[in-house]
Amino acid sequence: MRCGDFKENYIKDEEIFPSRFVKFWLALFFIFLIIFPFIANAYMLYITNMIGFAVIGAIGLNLLTGFTGQISLGHAAFIGVGAYTSAILITRYGVSFWLSIPLAGLVSALAGLVIGIPSLRVKGLYLCIATLAAQFIFGFIFVHWESMTKGITGIHIPPPMIGSFKFDTEKNFYWITLVFVVLGVGYARNLVRSKMGRAFVAIRDRDLAAEIMGINLFRYKLTAFAISSFYAGVSGALWVSFLKVVIPEHFPFMLCIQYLAMVIVGGLGSVIGSIFGAIFMTLVPELLNVLSDVVRSYTPGMGKLIIPFKQVVFGFLIVSFLIFEPRGLAELWNRIKKFFTLWPFSY
Amino acid sequence: MKKIGLFVLGFILFLGPFSIAMAQQPTICAIHPFTGRFAFAGIEGSVAMQDVVDMANEAGGINGKKIQYYWADGEYKDDVAIAAFKRLYAQHTPQIMFGQSTGMTKALGPEIKDRYKVLYSAYTMTSEAANPKENPYLFIAAPTYTEQVGVLLKYIAKEKPGANVAFFYSDTEFGREPILASREMCKKLGLNLVAEEVSQVGGVDISTQVLDMKAKKVDYCIFHGYVSNPIAAVIKQSKDYGLNAKFMGTFWSTELQLLKELGPLADEYVGVSAYSFYYMEENPMIKKIRDWTKKKYPKVEYRSQSYMEVFITTHLFVESFKRADKMKGGITGDNLVKALQSIKNFDVGGLMPPVTIKNNSIPVGRVYRGNSKTMRFDPISDWIRLD
Repeated sequence: MRCGDFKENYIKDEEIFPSRFVKFWLALFFIFLIIFPFIANAYMLYITNMIGFAVIGAIGLNLLTGFTGQISLGHAAFIGVGAYTSAILITRYGVSFWLSIPLAGLVSALAGLVIGIPSLRVKGLYLCIATLAAQFIFGFIFVHWESMTKGITGIHIPPPMIGSFKFDTEKNFYWITLVFVVLGVGYARNLVRSKMGRAFVAIRDRDLAAEIMGINLFRYKLTAFAISSFYAGVSGALWVSFLKVVIPEHFPFMLCIQYLAMVIVGGLGSVIGSIFGAIFMTLVPELLNVLSDVVRSYTPGMGKLIIPFKQVVFGFLIVSFLIFEPRGLAELWNRIKKFFTLWPFSY
Repeated sequence: MKKIGLFVLGFILFLGPFSIAMAQQPTICAIHPFTGRFAFAGIEGSVAMQDVVDMANEAGGINGKKIQYYWADGEYKDDVAIAAFKRLYAQHTPQIMFGQSTGMTKALGPEIKDRYKVLYSAYTMTSEAANPKENPYLFIAAPTYTEQVGVLLKYIAKEKPGANVAFFYSDTEFGREPILASREMCKKLGLNLVAEEVSQVGGVDISTQVLDMKAKKVDYCIFHGYVSNPIAAVIKQSKDYGLNAKFMGTFWSTELQLLKELGPLADEYVGVSAYSFYYMEENPMIKKIRDWTKKKYPKVEYRSQSYMEVFITTHLFVESFKRADKMKGGITGDNLVKALQSIKNFDVGGLMPPVTIKNNSIPVGRVYRGNSKTMRFDPISDWIRLD
């Protein structure tokens, strides 16, 4: 019977699938993900797609903020850059959706590189404000560069296709989202255990010490911005192709806060935390909506009180998580996992 | 863990089977902005829709079939509203949907056309919802924002030809909507568009914009994209800075709340609306609404213009249901569109002039002036048709 989790070398310690047990549950989870679109209705698939886009975007922000320690308030802008790049490439230049996604990521990464330059001189709250500039600059561009973005009218985007098969429903689009989420999570999980990932963490923990150890701050900080923005761009491009329309109001400042909340609630510096955070911030409000609808149906005339109350509950849940588990849902997950791994000798 | 599992199972079971059970009932689903920035309209609108449905059901429903009505809160956020749309559709398979905003309407427009095929209206008065070629299932029970600004520009051109005009709009999609077309209209009417002032919604510093308008000798300032703030602040500061312009606004800022904020300056404000006000009891439909309100909600003393907008929209939904039910195939989205478009000179008891649907909208409006003594809007024009 197991009474501890012992690793004998670093390779073992860094394994993505450390045991058969993990592999088994992961395989089971994948089977569920494949079966899911056949048992779920359009609304549930819509929410699942939204969670998928949020997961990609949140991983991007977590790589920058959680792993590298660079706080960004420009994430919504980078999502917007990717979204508009993809929409413009598809509708104006006839580029295929499949090619537009990586290109959207690249253009967004380029934007991230430019906006990330101040990170070499400023950090903390000052960097926060510097990245906030991206939100305003790109927000202005989305509205006013009408010849490209069509301003407030927005751009209608045709659904992605393979041959004559259209990805125009929640169910069909689910497969695209799933592939990109798996790729995004897989890359991030590998990245954080690579030399680059360790450099990110070293910069986060103490940039001066990292530089003394030979880590090129200029290179790694900008790389973190570029990778983070790439993720954001891909997330935005997928999102608007799913919605089939892009308008400037899709990328408000509050979206940045929402993404920050995802990575904080999920767990800073954790890939699985980004996933949990995205699920929490997308699914919980929806569950509260469903719950408030059910309660409302049993208490006619109480809608005025019940509906706003769901926001109070959501706020309370976020605060509770931060108080009782400041390291986020990822830490909660780790504790549950450890409990079962070592059961019945968890102490 | 067991409890979570049960909850998830319950959630799946709750969402799944509803669609089959409700398919043949005349059903309306709505997403009201019950919380968030537009809650003032959503709360009133949800009541208006419930009232019309109850009135219709009390009168026998749609040829004996009771109308089902379900709604959810869209929080005035597009992503929340779209999710609510999909949730309600999955649960109830309605033939009619009502949405909350311009953004939501634009986002769902293509899907409504290609997939959902439901008759759709919303709180918005965007031109996109009044374009039967592009969006045959979308309609608005009012003139579009562009048409509303058009009414005001025509009024100005008549009162002072060649006047200096300024557009004062919010930095939102809602605010920018009619601006492009209205610039062209200024040119056509021979008006000088001398300034375009943009500001955030709410209590913001607008002294720069006021000084700019003074420097450009603005005669008329048209607000769009606001409900109250910063309109009152602009008018008050203009008086302080010696700008003698006349101030006008579109539908959402033609509400008594603004007059209260303006106080003695209420006479300075002119607005445009497609509906009669709650105090215009001489209209039979207004009287009916007042009697109903008195009976059902004895403490309520006033119903806003947002109530009127949703009331008339739902009234047209009910009429479309009645007409579609008699068509071959019954109540379907396509039949509802045909039924709606067949509405001509339909008497709505003075809530607005007899309704004729044209280009999936009702292009009619009336100019009202604020009255500082009664704190009400008084009509200063007859109903102006814009077609």
